[in-house]
Amino acid sequence: MNIVHVSTGTIFQVDILPVDELDFKLLTKARYFFSWNKEKGEEVYKLVIKGQKDILGLVSIERIPSEWRIHIRLLTVSKENKGSAKVYDKIAGNLITHVAKIAVEEFGEKACVSLRPKNAIANHYIKKYKMNRTGMTLSLEVPEILNLIKLYDEDE
Amino acid sequence: MNKNKNVDAEFGVDSRYKTKKERDADSVALMQSRLDRMKNLSEEDILRAKLLQLKLKMEKYLMEPVYDNKHHFTQFLVTYVDTIYSKRSDFAKDINVTANFLSKVINSHREPKEEFILKLMIHSEKVFKTISEFHNTVWYQVYYREKLRKRCRVKINGDL
Repeated sequence: MNIVHVSTGTIFQVDILPVDELDFKLLTKARYFFSWNKEKGEEVYKLVIKGQKDILGLVSIERIPSEWRIHIRLLTVSKENKGSAKVYDKIAGNLITHVAKIAVEEFGEKACVSLRPKNAIANHYIKKYKMNRTGMTLSLEVPEILNLIKLYDEDE
Repeated sequence: MNKNKNVDAEFGVDSRYKTKKERDADSVALMQSRLDRMKNLSEEDILRAKLLQLKLKMEKYLMEPVYDNKHHFTQFLVTYVDTIYSKRSDFAKDINVTANFLSKVINSHREPKEEFILKLMIHSEKVFKTISEFHNTVWYQVYYREKLRKRCRVKINGDL
């Protein structure tokens, strides 16, 4: 999996790793938009460039095996990677794909990733990741979930 | 205006459920929609999902510490063959080994020769072409990781 340095087009390989206790001290609301400390005890992953420590994006999830589903609780990129002046592209996509892989590994053909974005940005997720809408909830299932994983894997 | 909003859309999503009621309502509605969509899944999509699941499980096995004594190589092999074929003998025919040899490998009564793993690797590369990148060393890595672990265990027990 990789991200793209927007201004130069340089591609960087990334790792998506579990967040550990020490990381939480670095996760300020100013840089990561939410109070990530409240996610202590949840399953939280960070995206870093291979060999580096700076955290560029975060996702926290809840596994719901009884529904063959993984719910994205919180997702963010770091402040400098937001908007049209972002430094790196594809951070959120990689994080969603990582969650998609966990879901397929756990639940196979029944795999589902869900999230509930505000209405204003829901259309963006539907368009970009081919998500389905059910009420307020967006979900990614087979076959779209497989296509997303293939897309991000082929981008190696 | 809307376009700019969309550019910023991915900075973050907070989709934590605020109440149990909200969560339960979501679960019911979503499950109903998903079950409806699942009815329309093609055989091909189900096959792709099962094979991708196998690939991800194999990659996870290679990444994480393993403490059990299971035959992981043969378990993955059985899943692979049974996912694609209704008869194991058809797979044996396709990779040009006897059904008897395949059966012995699957039941851990015989070591898979290097040639067998090579054939399995070539077969997998073709199968996974439309699904996801399948690194051609994965079967080797799984096999030798398990073998190495067993060797170490025998040595440790012997030393004790």
